[in-house]
Amino acid sequence: MSEKDQYKNRIELLQGTLDMLILQTLQWGPQHGYGIVQALRLQSGDVLQVETGSLYPALHRLERQGWVQSEWKQSESKQKARYYRITAKGKKQLASDLDRWEQIVEAIGSVMYLKPKESAS
Amino acid sequence: MRWFPSFGLQRRNRELKEEIDAHLQMAIADRVARGETEESARQAAVREFGNILLVQDVTRQMWGGGWFEQLGRDVRYALRQLRKSPGFTITATAMLAVAICANSTVFSWIDGTMLRPIPGARDVGDLVSLQRGGRNFSPTPPFSYLDYRDLREQNHTFTGILAYHHDWITLTGGAQPERAYIANVSANYFDVLGIKPMLGRFFLPEEETHLDAVPNVVLGYSLWKTRYAEDPAIVGKSIEIARHPITVIGVAPEGFVGAMPGLRDDLWVTLDPLGTDPWRMTHRSGGAVWLNVIGRLRPGVSRGQAAQDLDTVMHNIVAAYPDDHLGANQITLDPMWRSPFGANGYMAATLPVLLAFAAVVLLLTCANVATLTLVRFVSRRRELAIRQSLGANRIQLVWQMVLEGMVLSTVAGAVALGLTSWTSKTFAWFFPANANPLILNGSMDHKVVIGIAVFSLLAGLLCGALPAWRSSHAPAIEVLKAESASISGGSRNRKLLSGLVVAQIALSLPLLICSGLFLRTLRNIASANPGFEQDHILTASVGLNIVGYSDDEVQLIRHKILDRVSALPGVKVASFTDWIPMTLSHKGDDAYPEGYVPLPHESLQVYHAEVAPRYFESLHIPILEGREFTPHDDEKAPRVLIVDQTAARRYWPGQDPLGKGLRVWGRLFTVVGVVRNSTHMLVNESPEPMVYMSFFQQGYETIVQVETEGNPVDLAPAVQNAIHEIDTRLPVFDVRSMRESTQMASSLAVIQSTLAGMFALIGLVLAVTGIYGVVAYRTQMRTHEIGVRMALGASRVDVLRLVLSQGVWLTGVGLMLGLALALGLTRIIARLLYGIGANDPVTVASVVTLLGAMSLVACYLPAHRAMRRNPVTAIREL
Repeated sequence: MSEKDQYKNRIELLQGTLDMLILQTLQWGPQHGYGIVQALRLQSGDVLQVETGSLYPALHRLERQGWVQSEWKQSESKQKARYYRITAKGKKQLASDLDRWEQIVEAIGSVMYLKPKESAS
Repeated sequence: MRWFPSFGLQRRNRELKEEIDAHLQMAIADRVARGETEESARQAAVREFGNILLVQDVTRQMWGGGWFEQLGRDVRYALRQLRKSPGFTITATAMLAVAICANSTVFSWIDGTMLRPIPGARDVGDLVSLQRGGRNFSPTPPFSYLDYRDLREQNHTFTGILAYHHDWITLTGGAQPERAYIANVSANYFDVLGIKPMLGRFFLPEEETHLDAVPNVVLGYSLWKTRYAEDPAIVGKSIEIARHPITVIGVAPEGFVGAMPGLRDDLWVTLDPLGTDPWRMTHRSGGAVWLNVIGRLRPGVSRGQAAQDLDTVMHNIVAAYPDDHLGANQITLDPMWRSPFGANGYMAATLPVLLAFAAVVLLLTCANVATLTLVRFVSRRRELAIRQSLGANRIQLVWQMVLEGMVLSTVAGAVALGLTSWTSKTFAWFFPANANPLILNGSMDHKVVIGIAVFSLLAGLLCGALPAWRSSHAPAIEVLKAESASISGGSRNRKLLSGLVVAQIALSLPLLICSGLFLRTLRNIASANPGFEQDHILTASVGLNIVGYSDDEVQLIRHKILDRVSALPGVKVASFTDWIPMTLSHKGDDAYPEGYVPLPHESLQVYHAEVAPRYFESLHIPILEGREFTPHDDEKAPRVLIVDQTAARRYWPGQDPLGKGLRVWGRLFTVVGVVRNSTHMLVNESPEPMVYMSFFQQGYETIVQVETEGNPVDLAPAVQNAIHEIDTRLPVFDVRSMRESTQMASSLAVIQSTLAGMFALIGLVLAVTGIYGVVAYRTQMRTHEIGVRMALGASRVDVLRLVLSQGVWLTGVGLMLGLALALGLTRIIARLLYGIGANDPVTVASVVTLLGAMSLVACYLPAHRAMRRNPVTAIREL
């Protein structure tokens, strides 16, 4: 039951948004999976809850695409973890993702804030 | 790492595990730092993380990498799923294995016979079998040597045309004479077939007509191996055939057994090696029509073009020698797989039909397995929905399901492969001992293995894809929300299940009807009166004319045999013949009845047999007019004939046939008697005119025919001894009862009914278990509902009606569809039936009743169970 509830309440991220968020998080320095989850949660004010079932596949995909690189390092708390670092290619990708994102936000915004001329009903 | 994918994969798997582990450790550490206890922190972290195995699985899919790795992962996953439900896995695999084996067995028989008509020959697809005159079943050799020569030399469409004549002979020179099957062949025989000698050489062109004092022979591989102990220096040595010395010039390679499909030759000689039969080499008719002819088409030439080309040549021959070519002369060409000469004519009529039946069985099995898969699927909907919400797309899910079907069918295919290697060899069992060197059997070569792979692939696709596509349409969120009680599936699933059940019934009905028709055909054939006595008759072949006696000696020995055998106690009547009816062999020649004007293109060929006095008496064939042969109808007397009713009616309708003349081989025969019709080849043949000639005038092979008082087989040693008392070197072959010999005529009917019966039984079991499974499953899913109904006052009969009605409805629809299907299918087998119509109402009605009743029983069992449930426990059960 708990499993079901958990999946039921998850927030769907727009397709491609997660990639952008991960790359953005890595802009501030190499980070491991757990760190990325925490960072996103903190920075979004507890709104964005990234599922591990989405995060890890995304990280591994990004690595295959050459946008991030990974290496095993010790964390401050002496925990050995896999750290992901954004590559030059990844930075370019992030820039174009951000562009697209701003376009979408603007486009959606112009639809949403447009004053209706006439009531629909 | 790319070069060592499995090593790399292991490392990556390990790293993924460590990565997730690190994630959990850090989450726990954070929670502990926030003041939670170690234990609750661990639990919360794990819960927060979600299903670790699934996350790993989905992440692994991102690696992509080699398709091989991906496939390996998917296959492992499929195996894991199948291991979880062993009942389903074993049942489905077993059913698929049987169905695939049914197909591959029939296919191996087709492969061993029709697809390998001439083992060892090069490019058999380019070979065609030539036939002159009307196309008929099991014809006699159609060409004379001179006609063959003209066709060979004047055509423009063949790279080569060969001729052969299949016969038997005795190998003498050893301790006991031994029967061997021999072919007289044109010099280019091996060349056209594309066979290279294993030892020595084959015939040279000039040897075809050139006569040597000591002729040449080519040995077959098995004869060289068994009789000559693989003598590597056999070439150039002299052996003895029918008391004539003959020089071995070569040995054929292993596997090659001659050009007549299904029959074996042990050795080959030229067309007239001893010069003993010049007539056959210099005439175009009158006993000189004795050769079977096979041609190899030039590249790019179609059969139609070649037939036209040969027709032109034949037309010129007929114009030049009209008297030798009365009757029909048009040339027809057949590919070797259905060549009317040899066994393939029969095979082509039977085996493809059986393969079609087997295909129906496979379809049926797939429908059954798909039903099982679908039912099993419902319990897996949550798993699939979770995978879907974790990012697996629909194609991946469908692929996974198809893969599970594939894994099942691959295992089933492997089992079927093992089974088929045995069942392919059972084909020979269907043919009783007989005088022909039959080499019919299934084969297990690469074609069959490919066939099995194709059948398996097809089966896997059919049983996996359908349910997979169906269920992948279910929206993930809804499935996850759904309460377990409503898991019985939406209306779409129910429709698909119903469709599959209907399909199973609809497919099994035609199978059952066809097998019913075949079984009744077999019974009709077995009980049919062939018009002659089959019990109390013993026949024995004596190798008289093939051991090298002079003609006078032969006649003397024949009379001695008759005297001695007649005198044996227990023998009622002894006679001679040179042909045994219903053994799938016959002798035919063109006959020209005096005063009869044939229709254009009418074949003038008649069957003939040479029989001694008292032949008709021993077989109880009544003489309707005139007289039987007497011992005085010998070589010095005028030639006489006895005709059967068919010949009398065709050639002299409304007249008295006695005293009429008939010209055969250029000789005039006078009709002295008319006998009642009897069966010649097959019980369901259309009667062909038959003429009987006097054994002492025309007899060639010597077969002693004895009517006995008791069991004919008991007399076999006495008859053999009586013959050996005359000359111990006389070879005696094929001593067996008439009953045993004539079984040959029904062997194809036995094959058809046996296989059709087995297939129908499988079909019945599948259909009935199919409907039982679905009704039982649905009833179980409705337990709760039924409990509520009963609690609200529904009687047990109401419940019974409720459950039964859906089963009856499905059965009804299935039967209707099946009947429509059967009407089409039985039309295909109509010409294989005897004494029964293709839509025989009794068979159809009884089969429908049987299938309907079995289905009802299958529905009744779950209904009965539901009816007996205690409503209170039923309601509690979800």
